[in-house]
Amino acid sequence: MTSPTTPAGKRVLSVRDLTVTFQSERGPVEAVRGVDLDLYAGRTLALVGESGSGKSATATSIIGLLPPGARARGEVLLDGQELLGLDDRRMSAVRGRRVGMVFQDPLSALTPIFAVGRQVADAVRVHSKVSKQAAWRRAVELLDLVGIPRPQLRARDFPHQFSGGMRQRVVIALAIANDPDLIIADEPTTALDVTVQAQILEVLEVAKAETGAAVLLITHDLGVVAGHADEVAVMYAGRVVERAEVGELFATPAMPYTLGLLGSVPSPEATRRLPLVPIEGEPPAPSQRPAGCPFAPRCPLVRDDCRDKEPALTEIRQRHDVACVRAADVLGRRPEDVFARAEEPAVAPAPAAGPVLRVNGLGRTFPVTKGAVLRRRVGTLQAVSGVSFSIRAGETFCLVGESGSGKTTTLLEILRLRPPESGTVEVLGVDVAGLLPAPERRRLRQAVQIVMQDPQGALDPRLPVFELLAEPLRAAGYAAEATRDRVVEVLDLVGLPRDSLDRFPAAFSGGQRQRLTIARALATKPRLLVLDEPVSALDVSVQASVLNLLARLKSQLGLAYLVVAHDLAVVRHIADRIAVMYLGHIVETGGAEELFAQPRHPYTRALLSAVPIPDPERERSRERIVLRGEQRSAANLPAGCVFADRCQLRPTLATDLQELCGTRRPLLEQSGGTTVACHAV
Amino acid sequence: MVRYVARKAIGWLAMIIVATNATFFLASWFLDPRSNYRELRPVRTEDQIAHALAPYGLSPRWSVVHRWWYWLSGVVLHFDWGHSPTGVPVNSEIPRRALVSGQLILLGVVASVVIGVALGVYTASRQYSLADRATQTLSVVLFNVPTVVSALGLVLAAVWLNQRVGTTVLHVAGANTAGVDGTWATILDRANHLILPTVNLTLLGYVGWHLTQRSLLLDALGADFVRTARATGLTRTQAIRRHALRASLIPTATSVAFTIPAVFTGAIITETVFGWEGMGRYFTETIAKNDVDGVVAVAAFGAVATAVGAILSDVATVVLDPRVRVS
Repeated sequence: MTSPTTPAGKRVLSVRDLTVTFQSERGPVEAVRGVDLDLYAGRTLALVGESGSGKSATATSIIGLLPPGARARGEVLLDGQELLGLDDRRMSAVRGRRVGMVFQDPLSALTPIFAVGRQVADAVRVHSKVSKQAAWRRAVELLDLVGIPRPQLRARDFPHQFSGGMRQRVVIALAIANDPDLIIADEPTTALDVTVQAQILEVLEVAKAETGAAVLLITHDLGVVAGHADEVAVMYAGRVVERAEVGELFATPAMPYTLGLLGSVPSPEATRRLPLVPIEGEPPAPSQRPAGCPFAPRCPLVRDDCRDKEPALTEIRQRHDVACVRAADVLGRRPEDVFARAEEPAVAPAPAAGPVLRVNGLGRTFPVTKGAVLRRRVGTLQAVSGVSFSIRAGETFCLVGESGSGKTTTLLEILRLRPPESGTVEVLGVDVAGLLPAPERRRLRQAVQIVMQDPQGALDPRLPVFELLAEPLRAAGYAAEATRDRVVEVLDLVGLPRDSLDRFPAAFSGGQRQRLTIARALATKPRLLVLDEPVSALDVSVQASVLNLLARLKSQLGLAYLVVAHDLAVVRHIADRIAVMYLGHIVETGGAEELFAQPRHPYTRALLSAVPIPDPERERSRERIVLRGEQRSAANLPAGCVFADRCQLRPTLATDLQELCGTRRPLLEQSGGTTVACHAV
Repeated sequence: MVRYVARKAIGWLAMIIVATNATFFLASWFLDPRSNYRELRPVRTEDQIAHALAPYGLSPRWSVVHRWWYWLSGVVLHFDWGHSPTGVPVNSEIPRRALVSGQLILLGVVASVVIGVALGVYTASRQYSLADRATQTLSVVLFNVPTVVSALGLVLAAVWLNQRVGTTVLHVAGANTAGVDGTWATILDRANHLILPTVNLTLLGYVGWHLTQRSLLLDALGADFVRTARATGLTRTQAIRRHALRASLIPTATSVAFTIPAVFTGAIITETVFGWEGMGRYFTETIAKNDVDGVVAVAAFGAVATAVGAILSDVATVVLDPRVRVS
């Protein structure tokens, strides 16, 4: 745990005045500007910031893996040895031996054509002259340490035969292969599901305990920081703007940006849903930083002198440094005191009409085939089975679950507006399986619109905004005049300026682009918006304003939302009702309040317990359910409950009940506030 | 693996049979062997022509199906691929010409691949350096030079050189000089004749390998796994050699396998300019001379060579890429 006294461990790394310059089309750009950091053995320093804040550039310059064309200046001392300016050969003696690194995306971090055991063994042999057999034995040991089951056998498998979580374990094994003094973890769990995230963070703790190394944890997730960091440095626009012990930082932040970050994170534990406290605007691009404090344009406490000179990082309390002239005024205040909370949207009058969408017993299978020339079917992948739910106007329905649980397949089946493989889909009371006249089908098409995860990929970069927004209208048969009016209307609706009509998507920031995709979806006056991970590609401070926009639009227009999201804090914030999916089945469904307050299904409980809470004290003291193993393949569903093999409740049950779990699949039944498919509740 | 190759081979065999027979009908339709006799003086009557063609199974009096059956039974029962309209047996031409093309083009392909891939690897790891820009410019220029121009250019240069020196330093035509005796003399003579056409084939052939290998390796260099490999303590060069290079060689290896057919089906223009009697020239000559059997044999030979290349390319993929499983 954290203590206010000086850390006991030995100082492993000290970074002084680190500046990283990238070459860009507009001349040199400083990604990192004068960063100081100290890392101590056995302690974790979290580097927090949004994209473009310079946190990854800091990490890669420490380990000497900056891309060509980037230059680092300053001082990076590892046990007194200067690392900056070492040539590649001498730096490679440090890399892997003294400093290990874990990367963000485990799917691409391993060489696809070598067995994982060989990759770990190679990492051992880079730095120590041991025989191939000895290195292999050590590799198996390491794979065992990071929790790969049957390491003896699995060491011979190739990366594509492992799941994302398992690959990340292998990457951690690579990083600790030579017992490093420093482990750098760059967003190690961002690409993973929450339950897997919990496992990986545990493995990182094991790795830290095993090696006694200092850990530099780079993340944007304040929940992860609260649970696993000893010290936190918050970065903004290439500088550390606040640095403190983790408890101190969460309790009494002194920089308005930190305060804003804490306010814009939806908490999975919130009892009542209030609009989030967003930070207005977006982080400045590295090439267009304002003079003075870079946060000044977004800061509600800005004074004139903020814009003149950039404040230096100064100690305001013991072991608490901050770069802000208003620090004294920020201390002790809560986000909602400083930032304007968005207005609470007026509750829309409950529309009397029937459900906008009704799904009954939806099922979808995919054939598993073998053979290259003559494909033959060797099995069936049951992606979605017996999914039923309905959504009324003005309601948000969320599907949650890990990847592979069938959420996206469900969405796609609904969006097809064609007869599903099994079950029925009704939109606005019309069964899509029926023989519909073309105009009726077009009406349904317009009534259901989608907002995708990545606005960058969803908008054609070669169309200006007007064309992007007019396209769905023209397809719907709007006249030129009406199209122009409607385009301006939806632009106002999502809060984008009218002068953006002739600009291209590249001219907008991530949050604005997501507003554009929402505007595009709204153009044809849909009744149901399908949102596939609507904010997961956005920075935390930007997420809040997009979530608030969605809430406002819903009550203003009486829309129904069907949302797929993996971030349960976000789900907690926007959902009215939730369905938890596991292996293509809904295992629990009910009102958001009831489900979060009193989850009944063991899987729901495990899922909710895996979400880190952005509060160090509660995050560290609460009891957590960490699931063993991984979701099985949907190609061979068990006869009984789909969750039985990982269920934490099952071993505690009576023998006959345990057997029932293994032989009969439970049906959804009302239990307490929610509907649950479990024999034991 | 053996079963996999066998299954592939059966599939290809079926394809070859269909393609060859289809070619026979197409060739019989478009090519008229009688025209070879029409220009002869004294003028032959139709009867005489038909009579002359009959021994080769090309008689215009027969129906197409009859001619096809004659040809097919010859191929199946005696492996006799027929005759040209003037009576030259196809079986006597193809092996000799395939060997001529083989020795000419094999060297060219090997040199192209080795030089191209090596240049690609060298320049990819030094992207945007002077060497990279210079070689890329050169490659793009060569890419746009037609074979005829480069071949004739080489011939002119060699002729100029021979005149300056006053003796034949480089042979500019043919595969060998008549009347050279002795093992060493023959080898030296043949090697000398090979130089110019090989240089020509290499100049034009290496470009594709250089540019594709460069971009393949550049893709692999930016891959996350190369960064991971460097993070374990490999230098940049080591990481490229052990991790990026092997991954980026997989597509190259499969396309190298596919160029093997070209080795035996010849290079038409190069063979023509340098006067080599190879498969490429045979192909154009058979068409020009309305030699139905010859055209069909060339097509069949090309199909077999393609099948061999395709199977080799599959084998190369399986050997190099562990993700590809055969079962």
